[in-house]
Amino acid sequence: MMRMRALAATAALFGFASAAAAAPKGADTARPPYAQAYEPTTVDERGLWQQLDDAERQLRDSKFVILDPALNDYVRGVFCRTVGDERCRNVRIYVMRNPNFNATMAPNGMMEVYSGLLLRVRNEAELGAVLGHEFGHFELRHSLNGFKMKRISTDIAMWGTLLIAAGGNDPTRFQMGILSRIFAYNRNQEKEADLKGLEYLVSSPYPSAAAANVWERLMAEADATAAGRKQKAQHSYAAGFFADHPTELARAKYLRDAAGKAGDEGDPAAAAYRSALDKWLPAFLDDQIKLNDFGGSDYLLQQLAGDGWTPDLLYARAELYRQRANPRDLVSAAQFYQEAIDKGYAGAEARRGLGLALIRSQQGEQGRTALREYLRMKPDAPDASLISTLVAD
Amino acid sequence: MLHLKGLAALACAVVCALLLAAPVAAQEKSGMKPGFNLAPGTARIVLMRPTIKVGAQSTGGMFEPNADWTAQGRENLGRAIAEAQGKLGNVVVAYEEPAGGAAGAAEYQALFTTVANSVMTYQFFSGNRLPTKKRKGQFEWGLGPGIGKVSGLQGADYALFVSTEDQFGSTGRKVLQVAAILAVGVAIKSGLHTGYAGLVDLKTGELVWLNADAQMGGDVRTPEGAARRAEQLFKGFPGSTPAALQVAGR
Amino acid sequence: MRAKFAAVLTVAAPIVAIWAASPALAGNSLIAPGKKAAVARSTLSVTPSSEWNKMGARPGRNSETWTLDGDGLNDVTFYGGVGDGQTLFKEVDKANRPLPRVSSTMLVTDIPTLLENSYRIALGTSLISIDAIEPTSFAGEKGVRFTYSFTKQDEEVRRRGEARAAMVKGKLYMITYEAPALHYFDRSLTAARELADSAKF
Repeated sequence: MMRMRALAATAALFGFASAAAAAPKGADTARPPYAQAYEPTTVDERGLWQQLDDAERQLRDSKFVILDPALNDYVRGVFCRTVGDERCRNVRIYVMRNPNFNATMAPNGMMEVYSGLLLRVRNEAELGAVLGHEFGHFELRHSLNGFKMKRISTDIAMWGTLLIAAGGNDPTRFQMGILSRIFAYNRNQEKEADLKGLEYLVSSPYPSAAAANVWERLMAEADATAAGRKQKAQHSYAAGFFADHPTELARAKYLRDAAGKAGDEGDPAAAAYRSALDKWLPAFLDDQIKLNDFGGSDYLLQQLAGDGWTPDLLYARAELYRQRANPRDLVSAAQFYQEAIDKGYAGAEARRGLGLALIRSQQGEQGRTALREYLRMKPDAPDASLISTLVAD
Repeated sequence: MLHLKGLAALACAVVCALLLAAPVAAQEKSGMKPGFNLAPGTARIVLMRPTIKVGAQSTGGMFEPNADWTAQGRENLGRAIAEAQGKLGNVVVAYEEPAGGAAGAAEYQALFTTVANSVMTYQFFSGNRLPTKKRKGQFEWGLGPGIGKVSGLQGADYALFVSTEDQFGSTGRKVLQVAAILAVGVAIKSGLHTGYAGLVDLKTGELVWLNADAQMGGDVRTPEGAARRAEQLFKGFPGSTPAALQVAGR
Repeated sequence: MRAKFAAVLTVAAPIVAIWAASPALAGNSLIAPGKKAAVARSTLSVTPSSEWNKMGARPGRNSETWTLDGDGLNDVTFYGGVGDGQTLFKEVDKANRPLPRVSSTMLVTDIPTLLENSYRIALGTSLISIDAIEPTSFAGEKGVRFTYSFTKQDEEVRRRGEARAAMVKGKLYMITYEAPALHYFDRSLTAARELADSAKF
């Protein structure tokens, strides 16, 4: 609706102006006014919302939702501190068990946060940056616009294809042109949401510089993934033809520039974040290790170990190396398991991994010793009878 | 996140598909457990929340949900279904979500979809039939006897699952359809009207009846159309006769 | 499992909606009881004691699937000699979602992990766990028997699986049985176990 859009545009202007003037840190009074929980009015919007209301019903019952109240409360807390209570009040957040880096927000106010995202951000400020970006789409009401734009464009594409096919020319060239228009529209939306998210950060207790860090690390991880697969790294400054989002490189740059201009400071709350994730970290690491992405996973582990290799991180690294299982990997794996144990890794699984790594690298005797220790520590392990056969050899 | 190569391949494949799109043949099939009979007025049936999607199909084939249409469809179809069943004298009650949430029912809803898809893929469509499902008069499908224990279904004899999806071809789509035939001799489908209705015996979990139609008629946005759709959905419903199922306003 | 190689492209490209897939020319065939049947283009054979349907579509080069009501409801898949460097089933997106590969030096404990990780990637799900693992004799060879449970992405049907496998001369041989946890898994468990029991080289 025109009124809403004008309001949002004004809000954006106001928000940015206050940022440039270095508004006082953390004061919610610095935030632009927020029109209350938006009710869809045009036919298109209500249609999309209704689909989603059915979808939210399904989401609520989904097996992929992580129900842990402590984790949910924590994520919600970070989100509210980022965008302010007025904005976060009616948002429903669902934390999903999915190893990909992603968060989505639907026009009806439901937000999904993937565990892969929680694994990759290192502090509350970074989490706030991504959640704020998603809320930015919502406040700027992008979903519907994107939907409308796609409809008009595909109509043109269909006609064009027919005409050209009838005329005997190559239809693919024309097709590409239309597709590029659709995706270019989305790229602008992503940049708008990035900058909106930055505004929220500037008005929050968190430093807006955190936003750029996320993308820089994501790029480095993708490069590491490619290297691990002996592929070429993908990054270029200009977004590739099919890239829906501006490339991480471009994003990191304009976010860093904007944060520099804002000049705000704050506590990114890294320790609090690590503490809140502690219970779920082993599970999320496990999901990541099992993706068969050695390069990316190893990079991620090293990043997470920036403040020191914890037993959980060492165990995960050992599992990663044992999984790839090149001869030298098995030696490294054994080493990491031992380090984890020495640092106090409590679970019996470390002995299991150590034993298997040693056996597979022709150190049978030491391997069997470790496996015997595993069985002693966990006689009712689900694979106890199988491990016993390896020990008996 | 998107992948460059995947999308390039997709764009090219789509163009090829456009040029080679084959028309979808009329496919209406139903199956019933042999010997099953449902006398009017003898059963209490719980209608699970119908899955109803109504919208438009743009020229480019994209589904556009439409809340007004869906609400109309839900209201009209809901009433039409009740009337159709009411005509047979069977009591149809809408499923009420129990206090603890609908997780139990949701599991069966999910399983029902899987079973119905299997029936359609491996028994109804001739191209893909499984040999053991080809035998004359055979119809052996079910959700298992545990369904009777789902809270909210006690005291009922059958559960009725209904799902419809309507995409009305926009004007542009229809014009395209004509142009496609004239210009390049390609038959493009306009609009999408699919539906299935299935009846499950709550004592045994057997799917005693399933109707599947990939070319449904009746505009669910109007009472008359919804009535016609309900009629089609329940065509061959156990114990019914065609005359009985005719709903007023047609 | 035919569903393993269904394309997982989550892009909402508008034009793809009109690409109506036609039913595949399947060539499903009937398996009669009592006759020994070679499976998965390999030296592995089973002797069914009841009838089954053999699906025309294969998950991979050296595998085949049998079913009673459709692979979404019950699925027995035979893997006949997946060798060093090979994947369990066809890769959909080799560059971005490569599947783990068999290694001829794999320990028997690595077999459940191979299946789990392959499913995580191919089915796009984190909801899979290996439950019990024990040694067993499989087709006369020393092997492993394990159970697992999983849910596919974009589906809310809980599924259970039971597998028997062995490494023989550096190649993986395996028989898996999968079905929805609700009703279907128990329903055909005995018949599926009889198949696995009858496996011979």
